Amino acid sequence: MEYSEDHIAIAAEYALGTLDADERAQVETMMAVDAEFTAMVQSWEFRLGVLNQMVGSVEPRPELWERVRTAVGHSSQQAPLMLPEAPPSPQAQAYEPTAFDPIAPTGPIAPAVDNSNVIRLSSQARRWRGVASVMTALAAALVAMIGVQLFSPDLLPASLRPKPRTQVVEVKTPAPAAAPAAQYVALLQGAAGGPAFILTVDGASKNFTVRKVGAPPVEAGKSYELWLISDKLGGRPRSLGVIGGSDFTARTVLTSFDSDVINGGVYAVTVEQAGGSPDGAPHSTPVFAGKLIETVPAAR
Amino acid sequence: MLTPAELVWLIAAVAKGDEAAFERLYAATRAKLYGVVLRILRRQDLAEEVIQETYVKIWNSAGQFNPGLSSPITWMASIARNRAIDVVRKRTESSIEEEPAAMEVAADSPDPLARREMTEELKRLLECVGRLEPDRQKLVLLAYYNGWSREQLAAKFETPVNTVKTWLRRSMMDIRECLGL
Repeated sequence: MEYSEDHIAIAAEYALGTLDADERAQVETMMAVDAEFTAMVQSWEFRLGVLNQMVGSVEPRPELWERVRTAVGHSSQQAPLMLPEAPPSPQAQAYEPTAFDPIAPTGPIAPAVDNSNVIRLSSQARRWRGVASVMTALAAALVAMIGVQLFSPDLLPASLRPKPRTQVVEVKTPAPAAAPAAQYVALLQGAAGGPAFILTVDGASKNFTVRKVGAPPVEAGKSYELWLISDKLGGRPRSLGVIGGSDFTARTVLTSFDSDVINGGVYAVTVEQAGGSPDGAPHSTPVFAGKLIETVPAAR
Repeated sequence: MLTPAELVWLIAAVAKGDEAAFERLYAATRAKLYGVVLRILRRQDLAEEVIQETYVKIWNSAGQFNPGLSSPITWMASIARNRAIDVVRKRTESSIEEEPAAMEVAADSPDPLARREMTEELKRLLECVGRLEPDRQKLVLLAYYNGWSREQLAAKFETPVNTVKTWLRRSMMDIRECLGL
């Protein structure tokens, strides 16, 4: 059946979640009587559902399993289940950035060096450029939660507080203004154009966090190290520390820099010996780099 | 997290009433689904209730899962998210500003946001979202991730609800065209 644009739009918005309760009930009624419409709604749900890949996991309380098990009418413990060997997911190999090509932090994207892969890489780079254009909005949509969890863990229910390995940093620096500060985001990207890390900086506290997105694991015996490069610092890169092995690193080192240095500088990641550069200077060309963009303007 | 192939296998076993497979499926997916619904509901008690209902539904309808249409985790997350949206829409009707403080409180594991690389499907969708104007990108993503209503989005974007309604509809149709649906 050909559906009107109204039908298509309401199916899409149902999947997006923006319909009100009455409209949702209306869609559910239509789904109950029209299998084709149901298929359209589900196709939207599955199309949009991939967005959940970017949502972090949160461990529920262990008691919840008992409730679930009781609710489905199961009783006692079962024998452990042996899983068959499954083939590796083809999706796991979907993105392999050419991570270690040197790039100029703000310059054009360097050409891929492996000629045999030029076509594959260039189409991948094109796609990544498309994806990169949404990363700011994506980071902004996801950022509020990170901020609260890291900087105000007391606001969270006990089960949600950061695990000990997260570096929770108490900031004593007075904020310059009472109003909520701007939030900044930098996408640190490599030669292939894919985001490797998302750097977020809180304008008031100057706290920053680095969230690993597409960066490949660093080779054995090496560490990723983050640098701030600014003309105002005489051009000498300043280390902001090693990016931890976990996927999420929070630091306060930026508090020692002026706002215009923080806002105008280039953030670059190099590959250093394990634990970071021993002499405070980078030993490789940047593999990922980016500049900050304001995502949440300061409140009036 | 298990691979998609392992999850498909587990769901097939659950469809046959295999309780051990169900427990294994729960163990492999609970944190992801809880993360998704907690972002939307922002309350532990509501999120736990929704997760419970979600797994009951998964237990009862595992036979309807079609691996040709979606990945197992996407299918499961859709069930969970739909339930969460239903709950939050019914609640916000009585009072949108019920819990202003709770708006700020939610949960993202400090752990791996995207421990694994994005799939091709996600990249393709993000490419299309990325073609929208920046404000509309944010609108769509906030709607999806936070489960915000049009009223909440209107407040956030300081824009009339009807404008948000138009933007949302336009954005979804643009995404549809971009995806070639």
